[in-house]
Amino acid sequence: MDSLGSELSKYLLLAWLLPLIGFAVEVLGGYWGNRQDKRAAYLAIACIGAGFLLSSFTFYRWGTETHWQAFAGSVSESGHASVADPSGSDGHEKPDAAHHPHKAAGTETTHGTPGHSETAGAHDDAAHHSPGPSYSGTFYTLATFGSLTLSIDYYIDSLTILMFCMVTLIATCIHIFAVGYMSDELTDEYVDHSAHTSDGHHVHRPGRFHRFFAFLSLFCFSMLGIVLAGNIFQVFVFWELVGISSFLLIGFYTERKSANVAANKAFIVNRVGDFGFIIGLMILWTYCGTFSFGDQDLNGHEQPGLFSMIRGSDGEITTVGDDVILKTVGHNGHWEAPHEGESNRTLPYFLLVIAGLGVFGGCVGKSAQFPLQTWLPDAMEGPTPVSALVHSATMVAAGVYLAARFYPVFTTEVLLTIAYIGCITLFIAATIAVVATDIKRVLAYSTISQLGYMMLAIGLGGWAAGLFHLITHAFFKSLMFLCSGSVIHGCHHEQEMTKMGGLRHKMPITAYTMLIGVIAISGLAIPGSAALIGFPIAFSGFHSKDAIVATALAYTSLNPIHFLLFLTPLVTAGITAFYMFRLWFYTFTGKPRDEHIYSHCHESPAVMCMPLVVLALFAAGCAFGGENGPLYHMIGNSEPLGVASGVEAGGAAGVALPSHHAIHEVHGTAGVVALLAAGLGTIVAFLLYCRPVVDPESIKRQFSGVHGFLVEKWQFDNLYDVAFVRPSHIVGRWCATFDKEVLDGILHSTARTAIWIGTIDRKFDETIVDGLVNVVGNVTRSVGMSLTVFQTGRIRQYVMFIAISVVALFALLFAFMPKA
Amino acid sequence: MDAVSLNYVLAIGAVLFVCGVICMTTKRNGIGILMGVELVLNGANLNFVAFSRYTSLGLDGQVVSLFVIVLAAAEAAVALAIALNFYNNHLTIDVDRGDELHG
Amino acid sequence: MNVEQLLFALFALLTCAGAISVVICQNVVRMAFSLIVCLASVSALFFLLSADFVGATQLMVYVGGTVVLLIFGVMLTSSSTLLQIRTSPAEGFLAAGIGVLFLAVFSFTAWSVDWDANSDRIARVTAVDVPPQGYNEASSGNTVRPLAMAFVGLRPDKGGNAAGYLLPFEIISVHLLVVLIGAAYLARTKRRVSADTQNK
Repeated sequence: MDSLGSELSKYLLLAWLLPLIGFAVEVLGGYWGNRQDKRAAYLAIACIGAGFLLSSFTFYRWGTETHWQAFAGSVSESGHASVADPSGSDGHEKPDAAHHPHKAAGTETTHGTPGHSETAGAHDDAAHHSPGPSYSGTFYTLATFGSLTLSIDYYIDSLTILMFCMVTLIATCIHIFAVGYMSDELTDEYVDHSAHTSDGHHVHRPGRFHRFFAFLSLFCFSMLGIVLAGNIFQVFVFWELVGISSFLLIGFYTERKSANVAANKAFIVNRVGDFGFIIGLMILWTYCGTFSFGDQDLNGHEQPGLFSMIRGSDGEITTVGDDVILKTVGHNGHWEAPHEGESNRTLPYFLLVIAGLGVFGGCVGKSAQFPLQTWLPDAMEGPTPVSALVHSATMVAAGVYLAARFYPVFTTEVLLTIAYIGCITLFIAATIAVVATDIKRVLAYSTISQLGYMMLAIGLGGWAAGLFHLITHAFFKSLMFLCSGSVIHGCHHEQEMTKMGGLRHKMPITAYTMLIGVIAISGLAIPGSAALIGFPIAFSGFHSKDAIVATALAYTSLNPIHFLLFLTPLVTAGITAFYMFRLWFYTFTGKPRDEHIYSHCHESPAVMCMPLVVLALFAAGCAFGGENGPLYHMIGNSEPLGVASGVEAGGAAGVALPSHHAIHEVHGTAGVVALLAAGLGTIVAFLLYCRPVVDPESIKRQFSGVHGFLVEKWQFDNLYDVAFVRPSHIVGRWCATFDKEVLDGILHSTARTAIWIGTIDRKFDETIVDGLVNVVGNVTRSVGMSLTVFQTGRIRQYVMFIAISVVALFALLFAFMPKA
Repeated sequence: MDAVSLNYVLAIGAVLFVCGVICMTTKRNGIGILMGVELVLNGANLNFVAFSRYTSLGLDGQVVSLFVIVLAAAEAAVALAIALNFYNNHLTIDVDRGDELHG
Repeated sequence: MNVEQLLFALFALLTCAGAISVVICQNVVRMAFSLIVCLASVSALFFLLSADFVGATQLMVYVGGTVVLLIFGVMLTSSSTLLQIRTSPAEGFLAAGIGVLFLAVFSFTAWSVDWDANSDRIARVTAVDVPPQGYNEASSGNTVRPLAMAFVGLRPDKGGNAAGYLLPFEIISVHLLVVLIGAAYLARTKRRVSADTQNK
């Protein structure tokens, strides 16, 4: 038990750094191998696979050291499943929770975070949720500037460990899949059919197999860095690293203009969000004076982290007037606001809101939320494994992860904003997905939509539900992307669903693993199974989406004015089921629409199918048990303080957040409603695309206006083009003109004046200055030359001169000296 | 008080001096020029001794004349060495041939 | 005209004759002989001026040393044809003119000074003590002892604090050594430069 935190941190550090080592070796050494061997891929897989094993081992160590208390304790504590007396079960749990973390807290690396176990032990409040311990510490201090310390910290709780396992597992599967998918690149002469040289030929270039895996390793390293990061500055650094990795991978086919544009778009749109992120960062640092999440032990005296400062140990934001009091008094994870008369540090409430909105702005960019969602569909230009990685485990997950991590900093106003942003996003993206025909674009919009669900859940106070969906979504979305990659690979890089059909006969493994993913994301379950055998028979998506819808329903019942926050996700659940099944029916059933593609397509090799099967297993079963299952409890173990009890209506927004108990009460209703919506969507899709009783084309014609609007992605790209891109082009042209005409003119005229002055100066120098010097020199020389007459070299003459001179001097002396 | 007036002695010194100077200006022979120098020095010496005898200068005049004699001897030795070198280089003692330093 | 005046006139004449003879003679050997006569007469004049030690030194160093040295030089450097190197008469006349002018200047200067008054003034300034017994005035001859005392830095003739000549004496002695070595170095036998390269 001795310093479990530092032990875990070492495993995770290793798991985090292995991909970096892989990246370094591949980048530095990749060019020495030939372009046919797969060593780079094996190295990358070994690194990330070892990372997964280490993460799993960390998980095991964490579990055994805490006696799996997160699962056992939370089951009884949260008390959602067995609708037993919550207070009674809490009483049962409490000694356990108080006991174990106490041992952990006695070590140097375990610092209390808000809602630490001692806190739970101290406050004998049954409503208080009791999260598991978190471990924070410093790997390495980069620099100290006055009170600003930049360091590589870690912050480990159950969520961190879970994210590590999830990211490394999915990344490993994707790496293995990519060995098969990218095998085209194992050549010295790769022909890119989508890129053309200026004379109209296809681009021929050497294969970039090792480079792809190098970038993948860098991507994984960056993502794991975000997850492990113990301070917000470190998060920002790896945030940008994720951005640059995605830039490199989306623009992997650099010869294609569309890929370049997409990479630039992803990067620039993310910049917009990061601008807000930086503002939030500055506000927090200015007022809190620390970047660190967890409490820190600085030279013996403890300093509260960001979360402790804002929320304290009771999970409440304490305000005086318009200021938020930062909780800086206390020790050992127990922080309170200073008492009356003591000097206290405050943070204006509106600045806390702005900071929250700013940080959330960064999340909006990364997680492709409205209004910055446009980059993500374009990011499909990258190779499909990249799409799978970007859209499931890494980049977009980073945004949601950060929003969840920063939950204690978000005020209710910010949370409401998050909820509405998520709500808008999920609806817009789902509607666009309905009309998309590119198989990857459908999945891309579905990703945006699901991310909207997660953001919505976090905004509604369903912290654990959002992250629950993040994990399950990561599995089934990566599964579906890899399946689509398999289809694209089998169909020789054909992505249009309109040219597919009936592929399940040709590629059964892909088809049925995809079906698992589709069912999972649609949230289908067998009705009544819960009533019959005690738990619903359903895939992971049902459980997580169910949790979100339940949260939304509870929220709406508390705040009726925000009823859209429940209706929209409910409707969208149906739309989700519709477009996902549409995709599956389109691709795998019916008659082949393009005989040429059908006849040439084939099932993918084993190296690509194996990851599909593994991911399908996880997609189906990872959420086993729903809200009583281990996954949900593990997430709930990290839940910030005060989430479980809900929040009373108050603040400028006047919204209340539902407590766990309230959510649980409506759980049954929400599940039924959501299942109904999903079933409806499925049936409609079945009727339209599998057993066509209605021709989709006629619907398309009848609603051609709406269809066009959706095909044009709600005109967002056009809107941004008109609103931002073109104006900036115009401004750019103005600036260029200004530069050319005015600034260059000034510069040129200055230069011409300087030349003119120089010419005059030169003339002056040459004639007058040089002339004077030359005259002096010439006169001196001529005088000297004339005096050489006397320099005869004859000693007798010199004597004669002396004699004459002496006589002459005497003569002068006598002639002119006054007579005495 | 004295048998001979100081001015006569000075006159003899002046004659010696002038003879030395003329010797230096007219003799083309290097040795002749040296002799002129000796005459000039002797003229000066004579003056020193005369002043020593006739004025209250005292022994200092004689001391200085002794120094002059010694320096003249040294000068003669060096000058003769130079004359020998000159002769070795020019195969003559004619100083008018040694005009390499003319302007 | 007493004996002293007679002797002075005689040696003065010999001196001037020797000097003029040096100027006039064209033969180097004769010039050297005339110089001996001249310098010897000068030493006689020194004796007459009661500078006995200076006169003896003059006789030994000049007549016995320097002139011999000069004659050695004549013999070493002269072949018979080169013994006489004549100057142009114009130069001679010019030099004579200058010489006469020089002589006039000097004579005029000497006769225009009142030496007795001057001597009294100098005496006032230097304030000669009564010399101790056994030491002679510069004007009374037998000057070897006072000169020797002056050279080692003692001036009993002018009182204990008057300046001696120890340091100049030492410097002169070192100077002589340097000059002897330097002269020997300069006059050493060197490789003769071939005649045709020098007479170009």
